[in-house]
Amino acid sequence: MIVAALLLAHAAADPALVARGERIFAQSCSVGYCHGVAGAAGRGPRLRGRSFASNYLYSAIRDGIPSSAMPAWKDRLKTEDIRAVVEYVNSLATATDAAPPANPMPPGIGPASLPSFNGPPPAARGRALFSDPTRENCGVCHAVGGRGVAVGPELTARSADVMARIHATESRHVLLARLQSGEQFPALLASQTADEVRLYDLTSAPPVLRTFARSQVVSMAQNPGWRHEDVSKTYSPAELEDIVAYLRWAATGP
Amino acid sequence: MRMRTGAVLCALAGMLGAQDGSTHADWPHYGGERSAWRYSALDQINRSNVGRLQAAWAFQTGKVDGGFNATPLVVDGVMYVPSSWNRVFAIDAETGKEIWHYFYQNPREIGVIYSPWTRGVAVGLGRVFFGTLDNNVVALDRATGRELWRVNVEDMHQCGCNITGAPLLVKDKVVVGVTGGDSAHRGYLTAFDVNTGRRAWRFWTIPGPGEKGHETWAGDSWKMGGGATWMTGSYDPELDLLYWGVGNAAADFYGEARKGTNLYTDNIIALDPDTGKLKWHYQEVPHDVWDFDAAFECVLLDAPVNGVPRKLLLNVNKGGYTFVIDRTNGEFVSAWPVAENINWISGVDSKGNLLGRNEPPVGKPSLVCPSIGGGRQWNHGSYSPRTGWFYTTGIEWCQEVTVTPEEPREGINFFGGVFHLKPPMHGPAGGHLDAYDPVTGKKFWSYPSKYPLLASQLSTAGDLVFSGDPEGNFFALDARTGQKLWSFPTGSGHRGSPISYSVRGRQFIATPSGWGSALAGLLPQLWPETEDFPPGSTMFVFALPVEAR
Repeated sequence: MIVAALLLAHAAADPALVARGERIFAQSCSVGYCHGVAGAAGRGPRLRGRSFASNYLYSAIRDGIPSSAMPAWKDRLKTEDIRAVVEYVNSLATATDAAPPANPMPPGIGPASLPSFNGPPPAARGRALFSDPTRENCGVCHAVGGRGVAVGPELTARSADVMARIHATESRHVLLARLQSGEQFPALLASQTADEVRLYDLTSAPPVLRTFARSQVVSMAQNPGWRHEDVSKTYSPAELEDIVAYLRWAATGP
Repeated sequence: MRMRTGAVLCALAGMLGAQDGSTHADWPHYGGERSAWRYSALDQINRSNVGRLQAAWAFQTGKVDGGFNATPLVVDGVMYVPSSWNRVFAIDAETGKEIWHYFYQNPREIGVIYSPWTRGVAVGLGRVFFGTLDNNVVALDRATGRELWRVNVEDMHQCGCNITGAPLLVKDKVVVGVTGGDSAHRGYLTAFDVNTGRRAWRFWTIPGPGEKGHETWAGDSWKMGGGATWMTGSYDPELDLLYWGVGNAAADFYGEARKGTNLYTDNIIALDPDTGKLKWHYQEVPHDVWDFDAAFECVLLDAPVNGVPRKLLLNVNKGGYTFVIDRTNGEFVSAWPVAENINWISGVDSKGNLLGRNEPPVGKPSLVCPSIGGGRQWNHGSYSPRTGWFYTTGIEWCQEVTVTPEEPREGINFFGGVFHLKPPMHGPAGGHLDAYDPVTGKKFWSYPSKYPLLASQLSTAGDLVFSGDPEGNFFALDARTGQKLWSFPTGSGHRGSPISYSVRGRQFIATPSGWGSALAGLLPQLWPETEDFPPGSTMFVFALPVEAR
């Protein structure tokens, strides 16, 4: 078994690919509390001196490991880089020492090989503005392509009239919820059962998903007076143009 | 005018007497009381009878991944405790019988390094509050465990952040920190209305353009400069001040792109709990390039300094120095070490300035002591008003670190270098638990440990100090001598926080047992055998036999 594993690892080893994988591993994997340097034990399991099936490693890196701290790298590393990391991790199978070499850093380390956003400049600016962490932003309530919190409609496939929708002079989705206690607030209905009503409270950002016994909710009426403007006003008209460019780009696809 | 008013208030507070941070029948907050003493005034279990302590009940959470890192709370005879993956339990604290459980449904892909452990809940106003691995704050009905509200604070995949610390309840607000100090993220502290879940205020730990302190960040580095608030703060009701420790600047090791002192990273911040407005701040480590957070507990105690009674705040910095400051105004009082192997500075002067900064060079390996794991870890110390001593752990270890330039990447770790643990310069690697004068740092006794001690301390009016070790032993020391008086093997290492409480006149000692966490994962780099230490997640509760009371 051990011999077979060694042979397999040896047969697969392409020195250039392993070296590339080592560089990427050092930048993206053996950081902080994740994997240790050169596959030593860390927050993640020890990789040195262990053998793995290449297709398992590839899918674990690409898709992440469910219910674990191992993230999916498919949007963060190029396919060929994931393959290189697989080769490098396989090359560690024969390491007999628990500790890595003295100098942990391979030479020539440079910027990460993150796939860059390939939309046009206005869309790129809009993408940053959409989820600008320095202010109230669209991503607090909306998701595009998996980025942001999808409380309101997923905006990926919505190209028509996006500019008008940003200002949202009216919305058939937003209701006015009235509670037995007298409290009322603009709401999105998240779910309901015979006993329970779950509503997103849109009074302020971020929206709050509140759960009520059905008897607590007196009414949920149309809310034509609701406006989107408070949030959209934090952006200048030029910035909103960029956000529209981003949404159009997201709708038509890269 | 303002100064005079402040002086009068201070004098009034002094006349009202020292704050009592002792717990009694209940253990109502994460740190015991909100002064974070982790001290129980119960003395039924004491030095003379602790040898007869017996297991009363045990409770299994069923999720061992990530260990059992929590502090249980006890209110009116009910224990509230979270375990990994945001399972929350209400348990009859006398019998161990479950009253309700709530399993939060996290997404299958977490992919954030600060997971899957969780450290605590807040209980009050009929509710139980906690943060989740996917960055939600949740409120449950305390009686039934039914969900009342939840709010997604920020997209976890974008920020590379979530919530693992316990919230702190202050008046009608629940205050919640955030992880992400080792990610490309701008930190904050947020308060939510307990009834509606609506955000009441947010304090950004990195000032934005136009705000005071923004000039301490070069270029755009402020946007992703770390400053996590990943532990739990303290509250002084007399001064009406909320204190919170802020974590390291990011990238952790590479500081060239963020020249400046980098406020308010590695600061103790004092906020108005009603508005979130900054009252004062004290920076322990300006321009941190070692990952030496000021995020651990803020212990609020009153003690004389040079014969003058002072209202103090004690914070053990991850770099191994304890900082003592005046909690009325943030003035530096003293600093003293909890570890022997410290080479990132040569000392701290009488004004709080760091001396002999030893910044690791870019591109080539260098030895830094203590390691990124800290001269002490987050597991909390304890202050006993009976002895007047502060009990805390220290760790002797170093690391070889290589700093590398790194650009921030959304949602991804942002360390700016790599490290590997190394034995210390002097003596063997290991840990110890010590008793100190909280102001001078004078050491009264030391309890040695083969491995770093990664569980919190509990001190009691029975003059006992309880804690646990990585091999699974839960033990009691004589608070005055450090002598071990009792020990019990729980079968899995200790990474959580013991507490004491009483129900119908019977005192209990409770401790989570369950090895795991980021730091537990690093230990095999120095102690290979710890790779096989068994995980677990069990609450053990002890009491004296009924006839012995």
